[in-house]
Amino acid sequence: MEVFQADIAIVGGGGAALRAAIAAAEANPRLAIALVSKVYPMRSHTVAAEGGSAAVTLEEDSLENHFHDTVAGGDWLCDQDAVEYFVEHCLEEMVQLEHWGCPWSRRPDGRVNVRAFGGMKIERTWFAADMTGFHMLHTLFQTSMKYPSIRRFDEHFVCDLFVDEGRVQGVLAIEVATGEFRLIRSHAVVIATGGAGRVFRQNTNGGIVTGDGMALAYRHGVPLRDMEFVQYHPTCMPGPGLLFTEACRGEGGILVNKDGYRYLQDYGLGPPDPWPRKKAMELGPRDRLSQAFWHEQRKGRTIPTIHGDAVHLDLRHLGRAKLTERLPQICELAERFLGIDPAEAPIPVRPAVHYTMGGIPTDVGAATPIPGLFAAGECASSGIHGANRLGSNSLAELCVFGKVAGEQAARFAAGAGEAGNGVALRWQAQDAREEALRLLERPSGGERLAQIRDGMAKAMEQGCGIYRLAGELEGTCRTLAELKGRWVALGLQDRSRAWNTEWLTAIELGFQLDVAEAMAHSALARRESRGAHQRLDPGCLERDDARFLKHTLAWRVHAGAPRIGWSDVVITRSPPGTRAYGAAGEAAEAAEATGK
Amino acid sequence: MPDTSTHGAASGASPAPGAAPERIEIQVLRYAPGGGAPATQSWTIPWTRDMSVLQALQYIKDHLDGSLTFRWSCRMAICGSCGMMVNGVPRLGCETFLRDLAPGPVRLEALAHFPIERDLVVDAEDFIGKLAKIKPYIVPKEPRGLDEGTYFQTPEELARYESFSHCINCMLCYAACPQYGLDPKFLGPGATALLHRYNCDSRDGAREERMDLVHSEEGVWSCTAVGYCSEVCPKAVDPASAVNQNKTASALDWFARFLPGRK
Amino acid sequence: MAIRRTYLRPMDGWWRRDPFFLRYMAREATSVFVVAYALILLWGLVRLAEGEARFDAWLAWLASPLSVAFHVLLLAVFAYHTWSWFAIMPKTMPPVVVGGRRLPARAITAAGVAVAVAASAALFALATVLA
Repeated sequence: MEVFQADIAIVGGGGAALRAAIAAAEANPRLAIALVSKVYPMRSHTVAAEGGSAAVTLEEDSLENHFHDTVAGGDWLCDQDAVEYFVEHCLEEMVQLEHWGCPWSRRPDGRVNVRAFGGMKIERTWFAADMTGFHMLHTLFQTSMKYPSIRRFDEHFVCDLFVDEGRVQGVLAIEVATGEFRLIRSHAVVIATGGAGRVFRQNTNGGIVTGDGMALAYRHGVPLRDMEFVQYHPTCMPGPGLLFTEACRGEGGILVNKDGYRYLQDYGLGPPDPWPRKKAMELGPRDRLSQAFWHEQRKGRTIPTIHGDAVHLDLRHLGRAKLTERLPQICELAERFLGIDPAEAPIPVRPAVHYTMGGIPTDVGAATPIPGLFAAGECASSGIHGANRLGSNSLAELCVFGKVAGEQAARFAAGAGEAGNGVALRWQAQDAREEALRLLERPSGGERLAQIRDGMAKAMEQGCGIYRLAGELEGTCRTLAELKGRWVALGLQDRSRAWNTEWLTAIELGFQLDVAEAMAHSALARRESRGAHQRLDPGCLERDDARFLKHTLAWRVHAGAPRIGWSDVVITRSPPGTRAYGAAGEAAEAAEATGK
Repeated sequence: MPDTSTHGAASGASPAPGAAPERIEIQVLRYAPGGGAPATQSWTIPWTRDMSVLQALQYIKDHLDGSLTFRWSCRMAICGSCGMMVNGVPRLGCETFLRDLAPGPVRLEALAHFPIERDLVVDAEDFIGKLAKIKPYIVPKEPRGLDEGTYFQTPEELARYESFSHCINCMLCYAACPQYGLDPKFLGPGATALLHRYNCDSRDGAREERMDLVHSEEGVWSCTAVGYCSEVCPKAVDPASAVNQNKTASALDWFARFLPGRK
Repeated sequence: MAIRRTYLRPMDGWWRRDPFFLRYMAREATSVFVVAYALILLWGLVRLAEGEARFDAWLAWLASPLSVAFHVLLLAVFAYHTWSWFAIMPKTMPPVVVGGRRLPARAITAAGVAVAVAASAALFALATVLA
């Protein structure tokens, strides 16, 4: 097996991974950095993010505002020290991206423009038309080519992580084109592999978002934190689940039910006018909007489509000029996929899984519980999103914590001393290799991979939906356990080595089943409703700070259900309060202002 | 732009309830590494009005033949993974719809002018290498510290390069370019468009360094203005414009050499 | 790194694979006809230098049915040549901004074709007047 020696191995090729690579290269140009991604970096799912990236910019805004919006948006499950660090560093990262060439949309005077976004008090979302993630990713990818110390392993699928002598030792990657294994030894590893939305049926995610890094860490004893918090983005295409950015609403778009009624006013987000208005109606937080849809559906006020019920996202009043300037990709998506011109007709939308708030727990230095292992981006639970993420905080997170991860990994690698036991590592690598190849040896002709995958996706949709019930969650947990048994017996039709995507998809499915189990069991354990985790069981309908102002931790148990534990939430400046939006929010803010 | 007429897809009209789903034949040029010359294999699958070519391929892989190999990810024409030849035309599989190809058969093949790795997957390394060659990053005209904030760039200055920044690296333009097919040393439409994007960015000062590539035999002078690249580009980047504008730029640079004061 | 056994498809007959390429080859082929016409004119110039009798003979050949047929073909080819030239011309120019809006390629092509037609008409009128 080929062995490559690096100082830092970064798993992933998206925004956080590239930002970490650049940060490490700048922090210490003498370190050898391996960027190992299962797809070419510009295919990473960062590319699909649309709306924008938050940073306190305007005179009338403040770090305190961004901090409060984020903590309230997260229903007080955020680690406030991480949020403090985050809001302090967003602006410098956005400026850094601009210096690197990111084509931020501008005001006439040449300054960067900012727009309103869900749950945010003041406009602070930097945007590049409605393709912000695309532009950020391409800027980072192209900029990364400046650094000779970054060696890319494109289309290399990481199938295992190595931990020995209490620290990380490297990763094992499959070269997709040949099916050959490569051992990449390193002193530090940064996991930046993205979220796990593909475990659900309807989702905005690309095929690659399968929780690989989360599962790798999980299998090596790292607990996964807050996995029950899965964000349903309220405005997605029925069927494929493709995303219609929150920016549609930021620019003034409205949501109406089958009667043309702006139903959000019935769910504590009103009054409907004046519009647009921050933190009210369609600019409320995503979890509340998705929950409102669920209620409307129950009341029979949604619009049936061939892919399930939907509501209408109406952008007509924005006018063609504004749509072309601010939301061109949305218009393209609506026209090409649905045959709808948003200037003429409303777009059918419904919630779909979009973002994984939970993941590998990290501290403010992006460090995980394993020395030398760092994590950044959606795969990490950095603590800033809590129970619900605000739109445009994720793209900013990639840069802020991507940089931290890169710098900290560089520091760790430079001070790491002797490399670990090479012989032991090679044995581990051989074991991992055989484990991966076992999939190719099992007889085919039985169940197909897609059946297990679809079973998982349906079970997750059923049990871990917008609203959850104990009985359904338990059913999902049982189904997942059964599916894991079926996965172990899975045989593939394609038994070759070169470019065998069925093989890699099967390995991904194994990762997904682990992550899905963590999600379902964590959801069962949290007997309250908070943020994106809402339960209909009696006694669980409200937020219960007394018992559940804690993070869940899911530890993998070999051949058994995950063990759920708890950890404290870091509260510094903001004791748990009420999440109030719309008129209630304005009243609360006014009361607070006079009370000061 | 390729015709993407949607024939009223919004209504989502499917065959009448109770009726058997319509079926369509999908033909794929298949190749396995070291497995002899490529050969066509075909499947007939059920389809609905909103299904894309990508979804057809996924159906085949999920239910009929797990060895069918193709790249894909975002499903919304922004990641650039799923480029392929659809009935001889370079298209993105995720935004090419069966309803526009019905009754079929639909002929699928790996992107033209690239070596086939397996089935619909091509060797993209040459293109990736070219991306790195063109210095695809800002070399600031005026240095600026982070604490000094962003550069000023008016909407007009942004407009000068913005469309060239929309390239999703899907390589359809290379599949459309016969000059690239005849000589892969040609820098090609996509890489030149990205080069032009940086040259036109008001913040960048590395135009001269990039022009060496432009002037060369493998630079813009291999282009004979076929123009098919811009036709097939799914993001209206107009690479033909980038390449041919640089022919003028290259010629002017050449004549400028004779002016006093230039090297 | 293991050797990858890729397959390179041949380029033979590439221009027959797509109507777009056929039109491109037709466009390129028109330049042959442009050269042919230039040679005819050059031939006429030579005959002119050789005196009135030789020049009149050349003019008579021009009026022959074979020549007329060839010139009709040339006219059609030149029309396609001119149109396809202006069709690709916008690609060679930086964006033309008029009154804050970018001029679409169609407008540039139309303007070019209009100028060509006007120039041809003017030349034709001039030739008729002088004849």
